[in-house]
Amino acid sequence: MWRIGIDSGGTFTDVCLINENGGDVHIWKVSSTPDDPSRGIARSFTEGLERTGAQAAEVAFFGHGTTVATNALIQHRGVKTGIITTAGFRDLIAIARQKRPHLYDMSADKPEELVARNLRIGVPERLRRDGSVEVALDEDALREAVRHLVGQGVEAIAISFLYSFLSDAHERRAAQIVAEEAPGVFLSLSHEIAPEFREYERLSTTTVNAYLGPVMHGYVTALKTRLADAGLRVAPHLTQSNGGVTGFDQAAAMSVRTVLSGPSTGVVAAQALGQLIGIPNLITFDMGGTSSDVALLADGTCRLVAEAEVHGYPLKTPMLDIHTVGAGGGSIAHVDNGGLLKVGPRSAGAHPGPACYGQGTDEPTVTDANVVLQTQNPDALLNGQMPIDRELSLAAVGRLAEQLGLGVMETADGILDIVTANTAKAIRLISVQRGHDPRGYALVAFGGAGPVHAARLAAELNMDRIVIPRTPGVLCALGLLMTDLRTDYATTRIRLLDEVTLDELTGIFDGLTAQAGTWFDHEGIAPEARDTALRVDMRYAGQNYEIAVDLPVGPFGSHSLEALREGFQARHRQLYGFVAEGDAIQMVTWRLTATGAVPKAEMPAFPDAGPDASAAKTGARPVWMREAGGFTDTPIYDRAALRPGNEIAGPAIIDQLDTTTVVPPGMTARVDTYLTLILERDA
Amino acid sequence: MSESLNPVTVEVIGSAFSSAVDEMGEALVRASHSTNIKERRDCSTALCTAGGEILCQAEHIPMHLGSFLQFVPCLLANYPVEDLRPGDVFIGNDPYAGGGTHLPDIVMAEPIFVDGTLFGWAINTAHHSDFADRGHAHVYQEGLRIPPIRLQRDGVGQPEVMRMFLLNCQVPAERQSDLRAQMAANRLGVLRIQELCARFGLDTVRAAGAELMAYAERKMRAGIAALPDGTWTFSDIFETESQAEHMTLSVVLTVEGDEMRLVFDSPPQVRAGLNVIFTALQATVYYAVKSVVDPTILPNAGLARPLTIEAQPGTLLNCVHPAAVDGRISACQRVVDLIHGALAQAVPDRVNAAACGSVHVASFSGTRPDGSLWVYLETIAGGSGARPDKDGLDAVQVHMTNTSNLPLEALEGEYPITLVEYEFAEDSGGDGTWLGGMGVRRSYRVEADCRVQIMGARLTSRAWGLDGGGPGASGAFRINGDPNAIDLSGSADLRAGDLFEVITPGGGGHGAPSGRSAELRAADSRAGRSAAPA
Repeated sequence: MWRIGIDSGGTFTDVCLINENGGDVHIWKVSSTPDDPSRGIARSFTEGLERTGAQAAEVAFFGHGTTVATNALIQHRGVKTGIITTAGFRDLIAIARQKRPHLYDMSADKPEELVARNLRIGVPERLRRDGSVEVALDEDALREAVRHLVGQGVEAIAISFLYSFLSDAHERRAAQIVAEEAPGVFLSLSHEIAPEFREYERLSTTTVNAYLGPVMHGYVTALKTRLADAGLRVAPHLTQSNGGVTGFDQAAAMSVRTVLSGPSTGVVAAQALGQLIGIPNLITFDMGGTSSDVALLADGTCRLVAEAEVHGYPLKTPMLDIHTVGAGGGSIAHVDNGGLLKVGPRSAGAHPGPACYGQGTDEPTVTDANVVLQTQNPDALLNGQMPIDRELSLAAVGRLAEQLGLGVMETADGILDIVTANTAKAIRLISVQRGHDPRGYALVAFGGAGPVHAARLAAELNMDRIVIPRTPGVLCALGLLMTDLRTDYATTRIRLLDEVTLDELTGIFDGLTAQAGTWFDHEGIAPEARDTALRVDMRYAGQNYEIAVDLPVGPFGSHSLEALREGFQARHRQLYGFVAEGDAIQMVTWRLTATGAVPKAEMPAFPDAGPDASAAKTGARPVWMREAGGFTDTPIYDRAALRPGNEIAGPAIIDQLDTTTVVPPGMTARVDTYLTLILERDA
Repeated sequence: MSESLNPVTVEVIGSAFSSAVDEMGEALVRASHSTNIKERRDCSTALCTAGGEILCQAEHIPMHLGSFLQFVPCLLANYPVEDLRPGDVFIGNDPYAGGGTHLPDIVMAEPIFVDGTLFGWAINTAHHSDFADRGHAHVYQEGLRIPPIRLQRDGVGQPEVMRMFLLNCQVPAERQSDLRAQMAANRLGVLRIQELCARFGLDTVRAAGAELMAYAERKMRAGIAALPDGTWTFSDIFETESQAEHMTLSVVLTVEGDEMRLVFDSPPQVRAGLNVIFTALQATVYYAVKSVVDPTILPNAGLARPLTIEAQPGTLLNCVHPAAVDGRISACQRVVDLIHGALAQAVPDRVNAAACGSVHVASFSGTRPDGSLWVYLETIAGGSGARPDKDGLDAVQVHMTNTSNLPLEALEGEYPITLVEYEFAEDSGGDGTWLGGMGVRRSYRVEADCRVQIMGARLTSRAWGLDGGGPGASGAFRINGDPNAIDLSGSADLRAGDLFEVITPGGGGHGAPSGRSAELRAADSRAGRSAAPA
């Protein structure tokens, strides 16, 4: 039987096939078909079968990561959407938190409104803060509102009433009326999408879900049909922002949960890799052409955040804690009017690309700096497939050097330092600022540019170990084959930890467990493959930001509450440096993560071939190594020819089709049994 | 990392400074208890040199810069450097003795020692929503005045100082928790800078700090040099809830080469909480000039060097003891209008029409059934001015403040208040080719007897338009529909069930109204918005 992972981005679609019997791994890239991504994906599916000789009926699992939702959100290509909310609050979505978009720049704009004012309607109804009804739902007004919206041609309606997380009665009744009046319209209800307190963020999430819903629905429907036509017999799956995969139906109904589908797949792949090679504490560094994504895995798990701002829109939906910074190989270096060297966030992208591509631009990029320093091949990239001109890089960086009054090499070196500092800042945000010391973590570098810059970044953060996966350029597709099915449920019920009873605790979690049961059944997950984890977002009474605390596994008891108290205090101390003895602790949002275990791809292991790597050596060239103070004659190795056990002492360059790994002086690279490269600082 | 000071090292250290102040700000917000800090984020964080020059300020509230300018110098005047120890914490708020700008903004600073040497200070300020329902004839009525004093010595708290402070507060439990959060925030700043110095060396970090200030200065000079040379004058009207009569404020702004001089003229200081202490005026000028000249200039002391600011002592815009200062931000908003009005004559394509020009505040206070007091303060956004090429922003905090609103679902759980409406004031944006931003209508029903104290400007005057654009609508405060229910004291009693309404002013329009396209007019009409009457 075979397992297939297809990760589809704007430019490339990465495909990974693994044979469950025997462990063959086949990985390659094809061009995406942005006009209708399902076409390219179905084609790569068929192509994969042809390449490997597998039969469609032999495919046991199909996993998919997509940027369809993200792109629709960034490019504002969702559907015409209406909002129905409590009377008196129709502008809440636009007022947001009343802050201006930029503190000093008066020309800055808020993120584009997804719903025009004439499509936002307030309907009389009101719950009190305890969930009781103060004003009953005005059903006539609601019916009128729906008719108006349908008359305006909306394809989706978001309904978010105040306090819907305490009582969903009004929203449920409204949904019935919408179904009667406008059966074809996509409906997004706040008590289903984000049943948590803070009305603006809940409304924003519900609205984005409505806005993207029909797009995602159309996409997965088309893809499902094409895959079925191509012979796929199993239900296909899609990655969500929480790193888990889910069925296509849920992905369409909860489209807002898929906006970070792409980057979260890379984190999951790194997690699986860490598990395989026995390194559970990892910081991921996925550097592409325009940006870098970073995330932290402590004990093999990436923190799940309950809320984040994505492309300017706050979303209350479980997402892996991934940070993105505008630092990539194509980031452009320039000197600003105060005389300091800056890199990014402007990027040359694939077109025109770095100066060395010779496509008409003369602005120096990070890649040009690497070409100048010869850390990247000065003649051609992509293992010789893409010829480049180092003279163009030298000229571009040279102009910058003149402005700065520095040498050309010093300037190129400086460009790399600054792009490293920018990335390090993002890593500090997810490590130091969350109470984790990066020195206790290994850096997993992937993406086309990650392994080139990993050593500098590790040095900047005092990290001693770097992991370069076997296929850094297409790690995400592989990650799809290592992911469990997963979804999250939550509800807000504010209780004091000192007063909550075990009955209440049980009651609230039973409600969430019942929802998870329905999902398990729908996904057809066998009882023995089901798992649930519980946690509570807690705070000191009076605070408004909560800390997520895990509940111990097993039956509830007084020890459960004690564990919550201890967990909360420990985390509070770690984050803020103190524990407020005697202050009451509140339980705010109760969460359940449901996981359905799927058989994972097993990575093949290879026999040890000893430390001698000379068979993989292809040549040498002078490379600028800052640690050596200048150009150093550096051996070049072919990654594909490296065998387990091989050791390479820096300085060295290791080339492969999808990236280049720099091993600086003072570090040694070792190849492990799964052909992973592990760089460690010499003692 | 090379120890030599090249532009790269400077950039890397600058980036570490800004990470540190951001982290301090996040910790302060998350660990605090009062709604004004934890949700509305009315607080700011910064790092200073040993002498008190600002190295880096987090991008929170521009007004708060005023509290950072003189706090450390005032402190050092009473506590010589030899007397400082690691783990000391200083607290203060007084405008006349401690570098504060009004009493509720409580400043806290901790010295950063690196191997026994004073590198600088971690400093933050938070607006404590306390000192409610006080008088404003002079500063002694406005709350407890605190000069910079030690709250903690060598890491050990000074409980007598805390007891004295808390006794003067209406909501002491909240104050105590917020102060603890402020202390934790500074602690983080101290640790981060110590780590940075361990990596780069104290001298390199210090030199990079000096270079970052020189860099901000160069950027400011480059920006000013790009303006035409000349002198421009602008006057505007200032009135507030406690000052019905229109006062005239004006500025004469001169650009000469890469320097700018601003001379302000205003009436004598008043017996009301409207006066502006000089540091608050400075912070306002820095904001207003930077926003036009170059919004990307680093927020440190260097940007002030090319600017000269003058205002006659004893006047509204440079008040002296014992003038009351609580509502200084109202006048500061008008100072921004003055500077932008003057610069609009120099570089018309870079300046917006006037924003709403007010910080509309409602401060509720009352007694809970258990006898304890509660205070709830909020500031409500208005419209921003129309831009030369697009409409103004609706319902945003403008210029000197940038606080968040409080979610209704958090508000109603903490205070006996029900929010009944929160929507755009549909006819408040000034007319023009580009419309001024709309203000909002925010209406509350109080569920228990309480007091409300208001603050706001542009109640009878209006935000001006530019290039033929019309003015924004004025704002208002109403009780049960009556706009005159609150007298010049700015306070009123509310009975359970009363409806209290705040309407914030809109921004001015830009360009002749006839220039607005029929298509945009049709969209305005579909959206139910109409321009403010001319």
